[in-house]
Amino acid sequence: MRPLRVLIGTLGLDQHEVGAVAVARQLRDAGIEVVYLGRFNLPPAIVKTAADEAVDVIGLSCHSWEYLYYVDELLGLLREHGLQIPVVLGGSVITAADARALEARGVAATFGPTSAMNEIPEAIRRLVASR
Amino acid sequence: MTERQSHSGIPLKPVYTPADAAGDYAAGLGDPGAYPYTRGRRPAGSDGGAWIQHELSGEGTARRSNEQFRYLIAHGATGVDVIGDTPTMAWLDPDHPAARHAIGTQGVSVCHLGDYRDLYDGLPLDRITVSHSLPAPFAIAGLYLAAREHGVDPARLRGSTVQAPFYCEDCGYASHMPFALRLRLAADSIEFATRAMPKFHAFLEDTYYISDGGLDAVEEMALGFVEIRYVVRELLRRRVPVDSFAPRIAILVNCRMDCFEEIAKIRATRRLFARMMREEFGARDPRSLAVNVTAHTSGLTLTAQQPVNNIVRGAVQALALVLAGVQAIEISGFDEAFRTPSPEAHLIALRTQQTIELETNVTKVADPLGGSYYVEALTDELERRITEMVARIERQGDPASLCDGGWFRALFQDAMERHARQVREGRLRKVGVNVHRMAEEEDTLLRAVAERKFEPCRERVDELAAHRRSRDGGRVREALVDLQRVAEGKTGNLMTPLVAGFAAGATMGEITGILRTAYGAPYDPLGHLKAPA
Repeated sequence: MRPLRVLIGTLGLDQHEVGAVAVARQLRDAGIEVVYLGRFNLPPAIVKTAADEAVDVIGLSCHSWEYLYYVDELLGLLREHGLQIPVVLGGSVITAADARALEARGVAATFGPTSAMNEIPEAIRRLVASR
Repeated sequence: MTERQSHSGIPLKPVYTPADAAGDYAAGLGDPGAYPYTRGRRPAGSDGGAWIQHELSGEGTARRSNEQFRYLIAHGATGVDVIGDTPTMAWLDPDHPAARHAIGTQGVSVCHLGDYRDLYDGLPLDRITVSHSLPAPFAIAGLYLAAREHGVDPARLRGSTVQAPFYCEDCGYASHMPFALRLRLAADSIEFATRAMPKFHAFLEDTYYISDGGLDAVEEMALGFVEIRYVVRELLRRRVPVDSFAPRIAILVNCRMDCFEEIAKIRATRRLFARMMREEFGARDPRSLAVNVTAHTSGLTLTAQQPVNNIVRGAVQALALVLAGVQAIEISGFDEAFRTPSPEAHLIALRTQQTIELETNVTKVADPLGGSYYVEALTDELERRITEMVARIERQGDPASLCDGGWFRALFQDAMERHARQVREGRLRKVGVNVHRMAEEEDTLLRAVAERKFEPCRERVDELAAHRRSRDGGRVREALVDLQRVAEGKTGNLMTPLVAGFAAGATMGEITGILRTAYGAPYDPLGHLKAPA
C-alpha cells in the first residue's frame, strides 16, 4: 500500500506560511507524503496539482479570510472534474462558527487555533480510512 | 519558561547582587541623553516622559482608513500607524486577479497617489507623526506628494516607514524582487527622504517582524543589526555622509512577555547602536548615536483562546516598554489573533497607553530600572550575546547570499517550530492555552467582537479602472519609460522617476512590474498579468 499523499498550500495572497510548513513537517514525520505547493495558489492550480499528483487529501492553511470565498470555487472545481478528494482547512482565523459553516458547505475537516497540531496526522488518516 | 532562565535561554539566578553589575557607570551607562545612551536617548526631563501613542490602522479604502485615524486622534492618539492589506504588501494592485478576496481586509488598499491623498486628508500632518508598514518607496512618494498637495512642507513631516527586512522575502511579505533591487530601493528611498523629508525616519528597521516570527530577543536584535550594518555600508559606499542619514535610522522592536529581558534588550540595543555608529562607522553627531526605538507589543503572545486576556498582556508589555524608555508604542489589539484591530480594540489599546502615562506616575523618572543589579546584568549579557551572534552571521556570509541560499528562511522555520513546541509542551506557559484552559462554551467574553468579520472591498477594482481611464495616459507612459531607463541603467536614484510616475497617476503595480522586469524578474510574479506593450 502506498503511503497517504497530502497536498499542502495556502490560498490567494495570504502570506503566512508558518502553519503550512509546520503541518507539512508533522505529516512527513508521521510517514505521510506531502506535495508542498507553498504560497499564492488559486483554486484552479490547486485542483490541477491535486489531480496530477493523485493526492488523497487537500490541506490548506488559512491566516486570512480569503478562504471563505475560495472554498466554494475549489469544491465546485473538484466536483466538475469528478475528483472526490477531501479538503481540510486549518488556521488561526477559523473560529468554531466558521468550522460548522465550512463543514456544512462540504469541507471535510477543520483545525482551528485550539486544535492541538499533533492531532492533524491522525485525523487525516481517519478521514481517508472512513471514505 | 518553567526553568529559571529568560525566554531567550539566558540562565537566571534567584537574586542579583552588586557583584553581578559592577560595570563602570560612565563608560557602560552614562546619564540619560549621554553616550552610550543605555539609559535613554534624551536627557532626563527633556520630554516629560511622553511617547508617541498610536495604534495599527488601515482597513478597506484609504477613505475608511482615514476615518479610523480621525477616530483615534479624536480620542488622544498622537500618531498614525498604517499598514497595507495583503495585495499592497505584495506590491500588487487591487485589480490583480489574485487580490479580489483580500482587498482591504488586513490593512488599507493603497496603490496610487489619489489613495494617499485620501489617506492623509485633513490630518494635522505638521503635528502628528505618520508611521507606515507599507512598501517603503511608495509610502515615501505618497506621503511626500500628498503632503505638498495638502499644503504641508515635506521638510516638516515626522514619522517613519518600515524598510521590509531582507529576510522577509521568503518567510513573510514577499515583494518578488531580486535582492539587488530590494537593496537599491531601500538605499534610494532612504537617500531621497534624507534630503526631501529630513525629519522623517525613512530607515525603520523592523525587528518586530523578526521577533514575532518566533525568534528570541537575541536573534531579533542580531538579525536587525546585521541588516542595519549592511544598509549603512551600502549608503557609505555611495558616499552618503554617515551623519546625514544615521539620525534617521530607527528600530521597531517587539515586546513579548519576558518583561525584564525585553527591557534589557532595548537598553542593550541603544548601547550597541551608539558604540557601533561612533567606533565603527565614524558618526560624530550625537543624534547619529542615540537611536530612536519604537515598539509594538507582541501579536505572537496573544491568543485566540480567552481573547480578553490579551488586554492584560498588552498592558503588561506596554508598561515594560515605558520603563525601558521608547519613543513610540503601539499595543496589538486584543482581537489580533483574528483580524486587524476593531474599533473596540483600538479604543482599549489607546486607553491602556493613556492610563499608564497619566495614572501610574512611572513617567516622572527616566530609566527607573537603571542600576538594578538584575537589569544591568541582563543588559550586559544580552549585549554580549547579540554582538556574538552578529559576528557569527557576518562570518557566515553576506546577507544577500544568506538570503538567496535560504539560510534565514530555515532560521525562521526552526524558530517557529521551537516556539510551537514550547507552547505545546507547556514549557512556555500561556494562560488559556496550556494552563487554566476553559471549555469552548464558557469562553465567551469579548469573543463576539473578536470574531466579527467584514467583506473585502471589491469596489476598489472598479474605482481603479476609473482611475486608469481618467489619467493622462501619455504622461504615464512617458514616466514609465523613464523609470525603465533609470532602472536598467543600474545607477541614479530610482525615487526620482518613481515619484514622477506616481505624480502622473501610475500605480504601484505598474511601477513595480517595470522594476521587476528591469532586474530580470517576471512582470507579474504570479503569472496572471502581461507587461504592457
